[in-house]
Amino acid sequence: MNVKRLSHISIALVAALSVGQAFAATRGGQMVYGRYADSLFLDPVLNDANLDIWILTNLYDTLLQPTNDGKGVQPGLASSYAASNGGKTLTLTLRSGLRFADGSALTAADVKWSLDRARNPEAGAWNSSLASINSIAVSGSKVTLNLKQPDPTLPAALATFNAAIMPQKLFTAAPGKNDAEKAKAFAERPIGSGPFVLSEWKRGSYMVLKRNPYYWKKGDDGKALPYLDSVRFEIIPDDNTRILKLQAGELQGAEFIPLSRVAELKADPRINMVLFPSTKVNSILMNNRPKLNDGTENPLSDPNVRQALNYAANKDALIQVVTYGTGKLMKSYMSSTTPLFDAKQTGFPYDLAKARSLMAASKYKNGFDLTVLATSGSADDLALLTALQQMWSAVGVRLKIEQLDAATKTARYRANDFQMRTAAWTNDINDPSQITTYYAVFDNIESVHTGFKSAEIDKLFAQSQQELNAARRASQYQQIQSIYLKAAPIVYLYETPYPVALSNKVKGFFQIPLGNNIFAGASLEK
Amino acid sequence: MHASYVIRRLLQIIPTFLAVMLVVFLLVRLLPGDPASAILGDRATAEIVERTNRELGLDRSLPVQFGVFVRNLLQGNLGDSISLKIPVIRLIGERLPTTLFLTAYAAVLGVLMAVPLAVLAAVRRNTWVDALIRAVFQVGLSLPVFYVALQLLSLLGARLGWFPIGGYGENFTGHLYHLFLPALTLGLNLAAILVRTLRNSIIEVLTAEYVDFARAKGLRSRVIMTRHVLRNALIATVTLLGLNIGALIGGAVITETVFAIPGVGRLMVDAIFGRDYPVIQGLTLTFAIIVSLVFLITDLIHARLDPRAELT
Repeated sequence: MNVKRLSHISIALVAALSVGQAFAATRGGQMVYGRYADSLFLDPVLNDANLDIWILTNLYDTLLQPTNDGKGVQPGLASSYAASNGGKTLTLTLRSGLRFADGSALTAADVKWSLDRARNPEAGAWNSSLASINSIAVSGSKVTLNLKQPDPTLPAALATFNAAIMPQKLFTAAPGKNDAEKAKAFAERPIGSGPFVLSEWKRGSYMVLKRNPYYWKKGDDGKALPYLDSVRFEIIPDDNTRILKLQAGELQGAEFIPLSRVAELKADPRINMVLFPSTKVNSILMNNRPKLNDGTENPLSDPNVRQALNYAANKDALIQVVTYGTGKLMKSYMSSTTPLFDAKQTGFPYDLAKARSLMAASKYKNGFDLTVLATSGSADDLALLTALQQMWSAVGVRLKIEQLDAATKTARYRANDFQMRTAAWTNDINDPSQITTYYAVFDNIESVHTGFKSAEIDKLFAQSQQELNAARRASQYQQIQSIYLKAAPIVYLYETPYPVALSNKVKGFFQIPLGNNIFAGASLEK
Repeated sequence: MHASYVIRRLLQIIPTFLAVMLVVFLLVRLLPGDPASAILGDRATAEIVERTNRELGLDRSLPVQFGVFVRNLLQGNLGDSISLKIPVIRLIGERLPTTLFLTAYAAVLGVLMAVPLAVLAAVRRNTWVDALIRAVFQVGLSLPVFYVALQLLSLLGARLGWFPIGGYGENFTGHLYHLFLPALTLGLNLAAILVRTLRNSIIEVLTAEYVDFARAKGLRSRVIMTRHVLRNALIATVTLLGLNIGALIGGAVITETVFAIPGVGRLMVDAIFGRDYPVIQGLTLTFAIIVSLVFLITDLIHARLDPRAELT
């Protein structure tokens, strides 16, 4: 080896080291993050709201974890998993030396107890994700799930918040006569095995999560995560105040930035305005039934009319008007970030001529009156619907906007007492089955109360729920998406991202497409 | 006499509470949309909604629900918040002091601004000073609270950095510092109402015969102003202040949202949107008590200031 070559190697080594140093995360510090509303109930099984779900995995770890791109799962508390017995057995191997945030050992018995609690049909709203489990056996670090039938969704379900592993002894020692009462007591001071542990909570004001010194995952520097000493959530309901506090340096991050302010914050050199890809799809649900609740004839029962309204909606214009250019065309009922989204789906690109010919082919050549339910006080709903009023008048549809508060709107929707309504959806699980059971399968909630029913979709969906061959399952989902598109039970609008404004000092923070805020790898640089 | 009057007034509050409770109990249940719809959102299946309603006791008849509510109330139990799953009494205990502090702070700032300016406007009545004071407060009164709040936040908080942007602070001085801008927002609104009334009252008193008599006696203007004019003019102001406490708490709803203050105003809004019946009922009861007590105190102060007023 000559001197020249040696010097080249040393230059490369120095460069590599300095690059390594430049990217090594700084340890310590508190990140203050502005949330629009406070969490409600920090129990993984019995909670109901995204306000809890989106921060829960910082406190409670799961056997597997969703990947940051939203497309798959990665090892969590379990270092590996394997299916056997024709897919009817799933065996997971726990990492060694796992501990809860209080230092007590996390054992396979805790795993069995937690999953048994989560799959109890009487507990919470999420138990169906683990319904395929028949029994759970544990031995040493092995957890064996015996299934009623093969379940391709199970790895994703085990990476979902409700399957979090909790300390059985601490939970059962909490005061209370039954599980619900114990959950209330435990959730006041929860102990889990996530990267952080709750240290202080003044409801409606702030919440402090402290670093869990026993967290298993390692950072880039080979030491245990998280990098931060603590995360402090400040509850700031007003969008403008949240932004002002961030600009004043009182916050290092702020969620739910109004899309109208994104461009302005992108231009601010102190701020890193991030649009995290999400699973959020925005659509208008249509009542597909021949008659409305009051007995009147419903033009939306005609697929020609539903397709016409889809083609007559100029999505590019709506994306500009409502999302300030941050959205993108919705091509399937599921977001493009959802696993098994079919990239060949086209959605309904704007085509007024086609819309007019579809209307002409229907019984409603001379147009009709249509009422849409909007959420009162929602500027987005109003901007969207007033734009649609104009767009749909081109095909003779006279749109009336009825504004209701969210609870009333939900009650009317649940009673199928609507003709159209605005709607948005985000997935809770890294699998297309959840949104499909809601949007396309009648038996759950009447296809998001549209009344749409397809025997073909029901059959394909039932098959896909037991199909372990990835290619065959993808093909089933491709067909489901195509059938749904043709029937057009909803008006396809756009996908929107999660707008988060961060201080330039923040590195490694993620909001994954499901919405979970991941602080484990976040750091505050000097 | 005063003690028996106070006891009688306090006893009169009880039927008022019962009436308020019955009305609120029925009103929240007449609102379209139930707690299960609000908590569980659009995704809940009929089965889960039914189970939730059963767990919350909302599947029972209204008289039974009211009976349970009154029985719990008599035991000092306002129930648990449906969405937060903690006792309502604890929730109110945590949040009420914040709102009371803010309201009292706003009332003090409002009076501190209103009294000197009203005196100035009355003494210099029909001059440009009077016109300016009245015009400024008229504009202040017509501006929405949230707009004033945001402007104060942007200017004094973000741009000049004199005050924190929102929050409540940790101790008494921290509260005074953190709540200055929200209290000023509410105080400005209150001062606008008070200035107008107080100015007119002062003018009325200034032209009264007993003031002319005092002047004729050779009393100095400052003595006349403090001993005769202001004391009499304050009677109307105190009444007005008492009557506006309700409005002040109403204003706190918006102010608490803009300034991120964890008070009962924000709690009430969240509870109404979330159809959190026990919280709505508990807060209404609390507001009824506060307003009744404020009216009582107003009457007592009124009687103290005006010997002609009788407490009957």
